[in-house]
Formats: sequence, structure tokens, C-alpha cells
Amino acid sequence: MDIAILAPAAVLIVWSLIMLFWMAATRFPAMAKSGADLAKAPPGGRGSDLEGVIPDKVNWKSHNYTHLMEQPTLFYATVVILALANAGHGLNLYLAWAYAVIRIIHSIWQATVNLVNVRFMLFIASTVCLLIMATNALWATLF
Amino acid sequence: MENSLLLQPMVALILWTMLIWLWMYVTRIPAMNKAKIDSANLVGGKGGDLDELLPPEVQWKAHNYNHLLTEPTLFYAICVVLILSGQDYGLNLTIAWVYVGLRVLHSLVQVTINRVLFRFMLFSLSSLCIIALAIHAAIAVFH
Repeated sequence: MDIAILAPAAVLIVWSLIMLFWMAATRFPAMAKSGADLAKAPPGGRGSDLEGVIPDKVNWKSHNYTHLMEQPTLFYATVVILALANAGHGLNLYLAWAYAVIRIIHSIWQATVNLVNVRFMLFIASTVCLLIMATNALWATLF
Repeated sequence: MENSLLLQPMVALILWTMLIWLWMYVTRIPAMNKAKIDSANLVGGKGGDLDELLPPEVQWKAHNYNHLLTEPTLFYAICVVLILSGQDYGLNLTIAWVYVGLRVLHSLVQVTINRVLFRFMLFSLSSLCIIALAIHAAIAVFH
């Protein structure tokens, strides 16, 4: 088993939790400021109900946290496949690190400036890394 | 270690997800241009905001891409459990391929005709596969 490739996956998991704290640290003060009270929130309320209630910039952190629970789940699965198939070294290892780093930049961008075209480019760049890793995983397991 | 055959359906579904990702952008970007969305200066915003701006059939691709990043994450986790507990052959392998087949059909229905009844039936069937695999995984690790 190639353990090394599990490191970028662990980094991205820790980063996702940092985003969770960033979201909470900005959201609760913003809720307090807007008069929204967690204790008096109606049953069934969800994070997305805060759209338009608290400033967009605060919600951007939450958008990114949600985003990190989407495509990266494929990344984790791909990393485990590459590790189990003894293909988690060389190019695949570099791509896994590149994916984790680009996703961190993507997070910081979405949580702060959030100009969509740059966000899109970062997303495309990380997806290309994943696409190559996934194709390599196919070669490593199918043949 | 000889590669587990159960890695194959995992990779197949990952690559299928990336194909839907591609399908999403191939239809979304022209639709955004047609809708005169000024993407160069767009700040903030989420993919879901496009539900109000783009034709539903275009957004169906995005809905399915999101869908592929929800329940299948359990599928990947269960497959890894089955591999690590040595239950990655025979019936479990067949069920995993059936799951992938059903999810591919589910995608094709959702991005084209999107009749909710068909989609629901395919989703229910594929969920039964997850339930069966999860029960087998539970027996393997607790028994």
C-alpha cells in the first residue's frame, strides 16, 4: 500500500474543518448583528435560509464548506484506490498534492474576493488533476 | 497485494461522475452566454443560482452531478470497508457493478427526460444495493 498519497487527503480533510470554523466564526457574529437568534430559530431552519439575511460575504464561507463536501469526496475515494492499488507514487502523488493545494487556494478565493471567473479557473485546474488521477486509477485497477 | 476487483466499479463511477461534470459545462457555458450572464464580472454566487436563469434541462446536468456526490460517497466508503475486510468478491462485486449500472441509468434519465417516477425507481433500486452492501460490510466487521 502507498501510504504517502494519503497525506494530501488528510491535509484537505483538516482544511475542510478549518473552513467549518471560519464559517462558524463569521456566521454567528453576523447572525447576532442581523438579530437572528439561534435559540429562537424556527424548527427545520437550514444554513441556506441565511441567504439574504446575513451579508453575502459571510455566506461565501458556507458556500465553500458545502463545496468541499462535494467533489473532494471523489478525490478521497480516488486516493484510497491509488493507495490500495500501489499506484500512489510519482505523478499521482504530485497530482494529489496539487489537488489539495489548489482546493485550498480555491477556498480562500471563494471566502474572500470570490470573483467567479477566477474561482472557475481554479476549479477547472483542480478537476483536471482529479481527472488524470481517476484515469490512472482506472489503468491501475482494470488491467 | 493483487489489486482488488472491487476497485473497478469504484473507478468506473468516479469517471462517470467526471463525464457528467463535462456534460454539465458543455451545456452550461453556452446557456450562460445565451442568457447574457456577464461571467467576467460576476462576484459571489453559486451554481444553484443558475436554476432561475438557465433552462431546466441545462440545470438537470448540474443536479445530477451534485447527486453523484451525495449517496455514492457512501458507496466508496463501503467498498473500501469490503476490500479491507476481505469481502470484495462474488456477490458483493456483482452488487457493486449493479449499483454503478443503475447510477449511470439514473444519470441518463435525470439529464434527458427526467421523469421523476423513473428517476425515483432507479434511485430506490440503487439504494437497495447500498443497503445490501452495508449489511454485508456490517456482518464482516462485527461478526
